[in-house]
Amino acid sequence: MVGSFLKFLALSVMVLVVLIPMWSVLVTSLASRETLAEAGGSMVFLPKEIDFTAYQTILSGGIVTRALWISTLVTVAGTAISLTFTVLAAYGLSRPGSVGHRPILFYFLLTFLIYPGLVPTYLVVTGVGLKDSLWSLILPTAISVFNLVVMRGFFQNIPQDLLDSARIDGAGEFRILLRIVMPLSKAVIAVVGLFYAVGYWNAWFNALLFIDNSDKFPLQIVLRSMILLGQSPQFSGATTGSLPPTESIKMAVVVLTILPILVIYPFVQRHFIKGVILGAIKG
Amino acid sequence: MTSPLAGAATNRRKFLGLAGLSAVSVAGGGLLTGCGEERSGSGGTADTGKFADVLPAKGELPAGLPKPDLPGVKPMPDAYSSFPTNLVDAISEKPGTSGKEISALTPAWGPAPPGMANNAYIQAINAELGTPVNFSTHDGLTYVDKLNTLLGARDVPELLCVPQWEVDRLPRFSDATKALFEDLTPYLAGDKVKAYPMLATFPTEAWRTSVWNGRLMAIPNPTDGPFAWSFFYRKDLLDAKGLTYPKTIDELFEIGKQVTDPRKGVWAFNDITKMVAMLHKAPGSKTGWRLKPDGTPEHQLETPEYKQAIEFMAKVFKAGLVHPDVVATSGGDAKDLMESGKILFLQDGPGTWQGMQAEQQKITPTFNIQPVPIFSATGGDPLVWGDWEPISWLFIRKGLAKERVEELLRIINWCSAPFGTKEWVQREFGVEGKHFTNPSAPAKTELGFKEIANQYFFISGRQPVIPPAPETPRYVSELVAYNNAMVKYLEKDPWEGIKIEFPAAYKAASTPNEDKITDIVRGRRPLSDLDTLASDFRSKNGGDEARDLLAKALSNGGK
Repeated sequence: MVGSFLKFLALSVMVLVVLIPMWSVLVTSLASRETLAEAGGSMVFLPKEIDFTAYQTILSGGIVTRALWISTLVTVAGTAISLTFTVLAAYGLSRPGSVGHRPILFYFLLTFLIYPGLVPTYLVVTGVGLKDSLWSLILPTAISVFNLVVMRGFFQNIPQDLLDSARIDGAGEFRILLRIVMPLSKAVIAVVGLFYAVGYWNAWFNALLFIDNSDKFPLQIVLRSMILLGQSPQFSGATTGSLPPTESIKMAVVVLTILPILVIYPFVQRHFIKGVILGAIKG
Repeated sequence: MTSPLAGAATNRRKFLGLAGLSAVSVAGGGLLTGCGEERSGSGGTADTGKFADVLPAKGELPAGLPKPDLPGVKPMPDAYSSFPTNLVDAISEKPGTSGKEISALTPAWGPAPPGMANNAYIQAINAELGTPVNFSTHDGLTYVDKLNTLLGARDVPELLCVPQWEVDRLPRFSDATKALFEDLTPYLAGDKVKAYPMLATFPTEAWRTSVWNGRLMAIPNPTDGPFAWSFFYRKDLLDAKGLTYPKTIDELFEIGKQVTDPRKGVWAFNDITKMVAMLHKAPGSKTGWRLKPDGTPEHQLETPEYKQAIEFMAKVFKAGLVHPDVVATSGGDAKDLMESGKILFLQDGPGTWQGMQAEQQKITPTFNIQPVPIFSATGGDPLVWGDWEPISWLFIRKGLAKERVEELLRIINWCSAPFGTKEWVQREFGVEGKHFTNPSAPAKTELGFKEIANQYFFISGRQPVIPPAPETPRYVSELVAYNNAMVKYLEKDPWEGIKIEFPAAYKAASTPNEDKITDIVRGRRPLSDLDTLASDFRSKNGGDEARDLLAKALSNGGK
């Protein structure tokens, strides 16, 4: 009885540790400037009113809306492309008999240790004509070796006998992958898909480097620029005049940024632990 | 999945540094003023006084410009208390002739403006120019990451803006100017600048800083104020308590104690170490140097004045006069604390004044921030840190045809039209009725705020003046009075006119040294660590190397 109570207490504290900051973020994003001023310009914990000004400021003018579509496009297309490449590579590398799979695997793993560097990456991306193209947000990060290793480990757990019997029945490698391996690997595909989707949704540095036209900026670049307002050097020779960011705008940015992931996460959560553990214990 | 390129992002230190733009250039430590002729890890210097033959001849401002009604004590800029009713049409011909799109990269602080295709402001100004400028506008705080990559990849746009405070963070910048950017000497030196009359009006000092490797490599965007730091107080709140600003260092401490009331959530200060060092007359030239009576360079870390200042600051922190949010971090959101009355004194860049007053008076009509008049903590005349480095430089890509370079210079010339001209109003405010209303005191519309992000400002320069600030009617006259009072005490820079690039070890030690000072004043390290810091600075952290460089710079310059 005492043990259960202590467990309940400990879990309650942990839940509160997570929920209180999220609550404060939400309440601050809905606070008026007067409420913020009373709170010393920082986080608000007790709501006095609901004021959507911060969200109106962010969402008015079409810039954020456009960026939202771009981020959605990049996330959906990027995740699809990444999953396709990762599944194909992981399946090939998980079969011991596949041609050159050890050198290829070694080559993939080498990228864990050796990163090409900023300037060479930039030169390659611009050299193949991706500068100022949305492809530059997808292709340079299309395959994550970490995700590949996780998925390969999962595929290796699928009994070889099952695949052999399919082969005896006349199935080719693509049919085996599509009809047997992938249906058995929903958990890891869901988890790796979530990893990719979160990565594409949150990515901003590639856009900083490769995208010149602000009409092609993804959401994270645009939202970040809103937070920076008021951090700028101010020249009396130039007009600034824009409203400085209140804490409510910053917190509204946080809410808008995490909302899509929060919405998606419950649907993938049931696969999460299974996918990660199964993939991780087999190297 | 994390981008492999992540991690090069900016950090809080950069945020805070930028908030006090000119401050970082003078006293922030580690920032240098440019690049020298001898560029290497051991630093370099160049006496810009020897570059007279590459500098543009000084020209006159366009005829008919309104006279400023609030004169600044030279070299401080003059000011205008109101907008002129009759604007001068300074440039009658369209500067662009080719119609071929110009690529430009400029920094921005604030919401990303729409691109050219969706930006009526850019389209309107481009129509005036005759040749479209297509801006790539990037977040000012990570601008250096973009610059580093572009310079490393040798992939620069036709017009590239480089903020002054970023030059230090760009490795081998002097070499980069030579390899990547057009030498403008043949276009602008001497009387050749007459083809671009607005550029000819820039201060010669600003042009002098635009020389790299003995050649005129960039167009400066001259600064309108030299001061590194200002020290603001909430006049409305001090008045309500029957108090006024301090006139001595002891009064500063006493008033700090009187206004601090943790039960009400009010403390006196943010981190005012820089300001206190200045009040104690520690040196600030070239990141904190001065000459001893025997002519040897001496860094502030080695001076008794700086030690006194740090001791005073340790006392301030120990007495609990600094807001706990600031104590817990390297800076905290000090502006927010000042705006909400949680602190009553704020050390910040001078630019904070008008912006904060304009915004906060909408919420609190009695809101009133004022700068504390400068005083000396140790008797005699006070000392004020500052310099006249430009806000930014504009470079033109190397290898363009002569006609193209001339067209770009004409475009820059148009954008550089001074206050009082039609071109200035168009550049600053866009189209009347669309981007601003009330031409006698222009106020930006919502569209104006969204589309205008100083794009054309960063591809231009001007003879600096202080324009009117209709939202804060008292501000301009108060600023001029403040400037005129401060400039009398502006520190004489022994290395004025000499471009210095400090040794790599000296630059690398700058941030760790600042962190240690932060720890000392907050009581996390003993005060005695200051002596160790000074000793390490000399022997391990490039201090002696920098001293030799500075001494050599003076002897080479014949000073």
